[in-house]
Amino acid sequence: MERRPKDNILLDVRGLIKHFGGIKAVDRVTFAIEEGSIISVIGPNGAGKSTVINVVSGIYAPDGGEVHFQGENITGVPAHEIASKGIGRTFQLEELFGSLSVLENVMVGCHTRSRSDVLACGFSLPSARSEEKRVRDEAMECLKEVGLEQRAHDPVSSLPLGERKLVGIARALSMKPKLLMLDEPAGGRASHEVERLIHLIYALRDQGITLFIVEHNMPFVMSLSERVIVLDEGCKIAEGTPDEVRTSKDVIEAYLGEEVY
Amino acid sequence: MKPVLKPKLIWSILVALILFIPLVAGSYVISVMCFIAVFGGLAVGMGLLMEQAGLFSLAHPTWFGLGAYVSGIVAVRGIAPPWLGSIIGAVFVGFVSYIVGAPLLRLRGYYLACATFGLLLIVEISLAQLGSLTGGHEGLMGIPPLALGAFVFETDVHYYYLSWALCLATLWFLHNLMGSRIGRAIKAFSGSEVAAKSMGINVTRYKLKVFILTAVMASLAGSVYTFYLRFTQPGIFGFPLLVELVTMIIIGGGKTIYGPLLGAFVVMWMRELIHMYLGGLLPRMTGEVDAIFFGVLIIVILIFMPGGLAGWAGRLFEERRKVLGEASQG
Repeated sequence: MERRPKDNILLDVRGLIKHFGGIKAVDRVTFAIEEGSIISVIGPNGAGKSTVINVVSGIYAPDGGEVHFQGENITGVPAHEIASKGIGRTFQLEELFGSLSVLENVMVGCHTRSRSDVLACGFSLPSARSEEKRVRDEAMECLKEVGLEQRAHDPVSSLPLGERKLVGIARALSMKPKLLMLDEPAGGRASHEVERLIHLIYALRDQGITLFIVEHNMPFVMSLSERVIVLDEGCKIAEGTPDEVRTSKDVIEAYLGEEVY
Repeated sequence: MKPVLKPKLIWSILVALILFIPLVAGSYVISVMCFIAVFGGLAVGMGLLMEQAGLFSLAHPTWFGLGAYVSGIVAVRGIAPPWLGSIIGAVFVGFVSYIVGAPLLRLRGYYLACATFGLLLIVEISLAQLGSLTGGHEGLMGIPPLALGAFVFETDVHYYYLSWALCLATLWFLHNLMGSRIGRAIKAFSGSEVAAKSMGINVTRYKLKVFILTAVMASLAGSVYTFYLRFTQPGIFGFPLLVELVTMIIIGGGKTIYGPLLGAFVVMWMRELIHMYLGGLLPRMTGEVDAIFFGVLIIVILIFMPGGLAGWAGRLFEERRKVLGEASQG
């Protein structure tokens, strides 16, 4: 595969296909994400938005097409290897680790950047202990970033939905990702929480993290994104700036009467 | 005001008690405590696998039995000294659990339970049928005592300290492990496998690691057991032991590291009491009374203390701390 002329392309998705039985969840979707940008994917329910994230992060193997990250073909690479290459993600349904505290959930994100093996950990060797302390501090920093340091030692189950989503973001941040994929981060949040989330996302972008956001909440997407990709029934029907997408005939049709803000 | 009871203090008191018991207790108590250490340590590993890693493996008696047999056979045949036999047994079990675990750990939930239960039956039958090697149904006889250099482990007290050293070392090691990045990875994949993978955790490899680790620990316990009894039989490592271990885990509580050991203590002393007091009353039915008693106890525990004794104690401790915390603030 020849490399693209632009070398600031971080993620390059070409002709991606994913079927579930007879259903084409994602059908020949092609897009590219530039480093340092904020890109959103919108579309009606069942348009294949989350599937795109699941294929890029390696949870599903694609049935066709390729995914390139930093110029490297990562199609079909196992999820844990993709994660360690610098792709972090959150989940629509949080998928937090229920038996761990908030801080410990975030510490799991540091896994790929720590090395202690079973023996070092089991015998509690000094190397493992000092690494543990470093990981704890780093995870605490990530919690501060999302404003949850007060909740560090609470069980995750005691948190309200909005804060659970923030734990998911902190956990992904502790992986120090280059690309962060957020699956419906604004879902189920009050408007002042969405405000806070927008500030957080800008702050992350300013740190050099590229953001790929799947979202339902239109005002949120339109105010935040540099580019918007619209999916419908697995196909990409539009891509452009929020203004371009808003006026696209296909998009209005897909939402059938629903007013696009 | 701070809570008076600190975990470290409790542990120090317990270890001191364990060191102290042989000085005052008779050989009966020492012998029961010896079995508590062996089976408790075994239950700790199995509880971790089942309740914390979410791997429903029933092969634990098998690893225990293979460790016992390999070290026993090595010692009986004079291939190597008993202590080296224990290590050979552990390496052998590590190897077998790797070969078995790599394909079987792809199975989930009850499917893994069924497959590992099949393994348990296969190994039990094989041990009984390989008569020339294992002594068949009658069991392996003439196992020499364990010796380290000139020191020979002969008395109950020797094996008491040996078995408790192994049991507490297992507990300490697993406690450290579960508080580390490895333990978090294990709890992570049992909570959400997709999320664990997306955090960069090689779930397949960690499942295999924790499976092999607990199998090797079970094998070492099996070696201590076989050198203590100086005899071993295939029937010891079958379904009854599995039921015994599950009883210990449920009663003690598998969500904590020490719960199953607590369970072993309660189960084995209760059984002794049943035999002591009901033995005279119902001389022909102690076995049945025992089974019914523990059956009912499991049901009661599952209804009223779903986290087992350890979970219940932990909650009490937590509430006490909260009350004390509020009192000190107010």
